[in-house]
Amino acid sequence: MLLVALLLVPIATAAASFLARRRAAMEVANLVGFGAVFLMAVVLAARVLAAGTVSLANGFFYADALSALVILLTASVALVCSTYSIGYLRDDQQSGALGDDASGEQIAQLRMFYTLTPLFVFSMLFMAVANNLGVMWAAMEVTTLTSVFLVTFYGKVTSLEAAWKYAIIGGVGLSMALFGTLVTYYAGRGLTGSQALSGLNWSVLAQHAAQLDKTSMRLAFVLVLMGYGTKAGLAPMHTWKPDAYSEAPVPSAAILSSALLNCALYCLIRFYILTSRCLGAEYPGRLLLLFGLLSMGVSVPFVLVQKNYRRLLAYHTIDHAGIMVTALGLGGALGSLGLMLHMVFHTIAKSLLFLCAGNVSQHFRTDLFSKIKGGVMRAMPLTGVVFLMAMLAIVGMPPFSLFQSEFLIVRAAMVGGHILTGVLFVLFGTGVFAGALLHIGNLVLGPSGDAPVAPRRPWRNGSLLALASALVIIAFWVPAPLLELVRQAAHVVSGQ
Amino acid sequence: MLMTHGLDLQFGDRIVTLMAALVLVLQIAMVTQRWIVIHIRIFAAQSFFLAMIAATIAWFNHAPHLYVAAALTLVVKVVLVPILFERLVKRMEIHEEIEPIVNGPLSVVIAGGLTLVGYVVAESFYKPDEPGLGHNALAVAISLFLIGFFTMINRRKALTQVLALLSLENGLFLAAISLTYGMPMIVELGIFFDVLVAAMVLGILVYRIRETFESVDVSRLRRLRG
Repeated sequence: MLLVALLLVPIATAAASFLARRRAAMEVANLVGFGAVFLMAVVLAARVLAAGTVSLANGFFYADALSALVILLTASVALVCSTYSIGYLRDDQQSGALGDDASGEQIAQLRMFYTLTPLFVFSMLFMAVANNLGVMWAAMEVTTLTSVFLVTFYGKVTSLEAAWKYAIIGGVGLSMALFGTLVTYYAGRGLTGSQALSGLNWSVLAQHAAQLDKTSMRLAFVLVLMGYGTKAGLAPMHTWKPDAYSEAPVPSAAILSSALLNCALYCLIRFYILTSRCLGAEYPGRLLLLFGLLSMGVSVPFVLVQKNYRRLLAYHTIDHAGIMVTALGLGGALGSLGLMLHMVFHTIAKSLLFLCAGNVSQHFRTDLFSKIKGGVMRAMPLTGVVFLMAMLAIVGMPPFSLFQSEFLIVRAAMVGGHILTGVLFVLFGTGVFAGALLHIGNLVLGPSGDAPVAPRRPWRNGSLLALASALVIIAFWVPAPLLELVRQAAHVVSGQ
Repeated sequence: MLMTHGLDLQFGDRIVTLMAALVLVLQIAMVTQRWIVIHIRIFAAQSFFLAMIAATIAWFNHAPHLYVAAALTLVVKVVLVPILFERLVKRMEIHEEIEPIVNGPLSVVIAGGLTLVGYVVAESFYKPDEPGLGHNALAVAISLFLIGFFTMINRRKALTQVLALLSLENGLFLAAISLTYGMPMIVELGIFFDVLVAAMVLGILVYRIRETFESVDVSRLRRLRG
């Protein structure tokens, strides 16, 4: 019941926003809807912790600790971003970025945003509770379809270009993932009941993974890695990412860069588990390490010479996708734990960074470092402090928790005998550290321009503060149930 | 009884092979095609033969759920998507030719090479001891997939890229019906729904690109760098 309600509430929210005539009604619908989704995600996590797995309708819906964690992260990001977007879009409306008020353009734009966002969240939640790998794929495709028009939201020339890249690269990528899913289905044709709907159920395939056809699984994993890797933005399929993140409205970019990244990784992890149980961990591990390190390496020069801070954050997300895929490739108990912890910490820190960037972007009306020069700290003290803190956290500065997870991953590399991986990981990490910190440091602390001091912004600053407190608190104390959920999710990944 | 069934299967295999060959020929015709409307019609014809292959396999292998897949292919890819795209072409008044990056004859040679690759890859899936249809169909499916990729890279016009993406998806559908006699029903439905929505979403995007840039040449989309 809970799983169905989790999916129905976002749909109802979208319908309510679509039918609403006034802005206030849409805002309330979104807040209430995402609040309910968040509560249900917490309840689901509690149930999964108590019972191990929750399933419904003959295992069509299925949630274990891994799905519960991804759902919890998605729901939290969605709630914070929907709170933030109220302030953000009101500001846009006042500044005329949403078009003409008299012709009803503004309300149409708002309706599109408040309808598509719940549908986008719905597709991510559906993906996480779908047991059938084909249904999981279909839900992933829906995430692209619902978010394309969020990327074109401002209707600029550049946002059309970004959306085109996003849709086409995403479409090609997902067609490969579908091919991989198909080959996986073929690999399981020898199992009993493979013709039924449950023949493509992950829980069934995972149980009988050793009996899957080995040649087919090899091909399937490569295809799936390329496919969902495109959605996760792994190099060299990452080119859509900076464009989409810098053109979408900031709340959508925050959801794309944290929640959707988690979802793409989630799909990869599901196939990694099948493949490693069928062929041993070495074959998928090597491929993942290759793509992970490549993504980390590719992002370094782009972060170092970046001119646009939202694109900087996008390349930074590519780096972190690389980090998480590397952790998955290292595998084992240690690597999996590092991966899951990193997923949690990255989600909080990266969405916080995007929200800060949104405040700066709306106040200064530009995304370029060269036009702002500096002085964010003076013009908007709270945003400045939080921006710098989140940046320090995400580049892995102790005492923040991303240091712990990255340290765990390096340790997993060293313990597992992947010395070269460990060395490259630290090297690339240093490059990103230097580039990102230098740029954002200058932006926040640099010589102050003549920009006016920003007014108070309750909706946006409230969500910033909520995320920032979460980031500080988990640096020192991770709540025991959350840690247990992370442990169990890591256990699902490693099987140990 | 068993004898006739064996003959039936052989007969079915021949029909499937024949139609798969037609599908492949149409795919290569798309590679060289210069007129967008004809390109759309070739896509419709290709999808029609795919639907027929699905129906043939459903008949000879007693897999009734494939009839549904065949019917959906007819409705979505033979009727709805081509109508949608032809109306789009009319509305946008595209008359100009499609300029491929690699010229016609050379792209046919490349498509031929990709077909060879398709056959080599399909060979590793071939199990002579397993009865079933469509050994050739799988090779064709992989070729469609690869040629679809090539067409996407080779074309600059937005709508042609969408058509290439859809023909690539046709390759997947053929692989699905020849490898496993289709996916489970609900997955099949999900995929068709996605294809239809994707075609609409991409169609709207193409239209807006045309409105904004006065052109559907996607090589002009090059503002976002670094």
